[in-house]
Amino acid sequence: MRLSIDRFLKILLSTFFIQTSWSFFSMQGMGFLFNLIIGTSKEKKNQIMRTHRGFFNTHPYMASYIIGATIRAYDEQTPPEEIKKFVAVAQTSFASAGDLLFWQTIRPALLLIAVVLGIHYGIIGPLVFLVIYNILHLYHRAQGILDGYAMGWNVIYVLKARRFKMAQQIFEISGALFCGFLSALISFRVGYLLAIPLTILFTVMLLRRHPALLLLFIVLLIIIVFAVV
Amino acid sequence: MNLFVLSLIGAVIILDKYAFGEFGISQPVVSGMIIGALFGDLASGIFLGAMLQLIFLGGLPIGRVIPPDGQAAGIIGCGSYFFIRPFNAAGHALFVAFVLALLGAIIGGIMELYTRRFNEKLSHLIMRKENCLSVCHLAGLVTAFLRGFFLFLPIFIVASSISIPALFPELSRESATIICVSIGLANGIYLFVKKTTIVYTIIGALCGLALTVF
Repeated sequence: MRLSIDRFLKILLSTFFIQTSWSFFSMQGMGFLFNLIIGTSKEKKNQIMRTHRGFFNTHPYMASYIIGATIRAYDEQTPPEEIKKFVAVAQTSFASAGDLLFWQTIRPALLLIAVVLGIHYGIIGPLVFLVIYNILHLYHRAQGILDGYAMGWNVIYVLKARRFKMAQQIFEISGALFCGFLSALISFRVGYLLAIPLTILFTVMLLRRHPALLLLFIVLLIIIVFAVV
Repeated sequence: MNLFVLSLIGAVIILDKYAFGEFGISQPVVSGMIIGALFGDLASGIFLGAMLQLIFLGGLPIGRVIPPDGQAAGIIGCGSYFFIRPFNAAGHALFVAFVLALLGAIIGGIMELYTRRFNEKLSHLIMRKENCLSVCHLAGLVTAFLRGFFLFLPIFIVASSISIPALFPELSRESATIICVSIGLANGIYLFVKKTTIVYTIIGALCGLALTVF
């Protein structure tokens, strides 16, 4: 089964809004409903509203895989209970994979690269981030819909694909490499030796999982101390 | 640049945080570039954006967790700096911009909680009136926009109206670099440095040193 181009584009555009009305009650629930209704025929609207009204939460980029598979299920007249079961299982699997891949690896690694390049070469840093990040992010958004629609329930096995592991490894290595580059930025100046105890302090705080707010207050305090002294 | 216009632009940029697309435009290093370009000082915009980015590199929005609003901090820090700088010393402007950015991140996080609670009401409305799904869902764009606008406008009004006395503490670019690179390194170590990748960190440091020397 294949999606027509205009239907694919409509779904793709709607996935950009998946988190628009994010709330603690349904998280991306309304966004998911909105995506499904855009992607299916009008006759199915009532059935979709009855089946999927409520909680839905996954990684925003990876939601495309679930949306593609769910739209196919509605096209094939699959019973709603079965669709609901698939969505419940798939959302947690894609959420953890997406969080690990994008939020914990690709985005911070590319931002680290952007910062190092930005400090040295100006505008190139942010532009490199925007280009590479959006190629990867849009690829998952678009390919997710296509894979989901083509593979149906089996789309969950996409998570075992080599491309996910490879991307994660590549960006972990890039992050580690540019972490080294960043440390070289502050070498050769005596005043910059202060960065060593500060780095140790912040690393210990992060490893001990102190709240982000406390970390922010410590940074604020250090900024005030540096400014006063 | 008018502070009202910059608040509007900031509120549009902050939509990228979660309300539309998530293309990365709202990340401080990118928003710093945009705001720097609007004020005609790209280098300072990128420097400030990069420094603030290092502070918020590890803020991971996983599940229900809402970390301090690093994206808002980037817009507030860069915008405030350019509003303060023409009438004050660079060190003063940098200090106040950093303080406002960090406070803005905390206030932004709190405002985000309220925005998302307001969105809950939209969810409940859909439970009763199925026909208004698209309107209620897309109303989230308005709530996200207003959150940004009402966060930025008062801070930019304060930033553009303050005159800092000469005795006030100053933050040099070197000091800002030390603090921000330290927390950036800590974030990098926390996220990327493991037994399997530590060798790449060492290679990176050596390459960086070689580039600095030659």
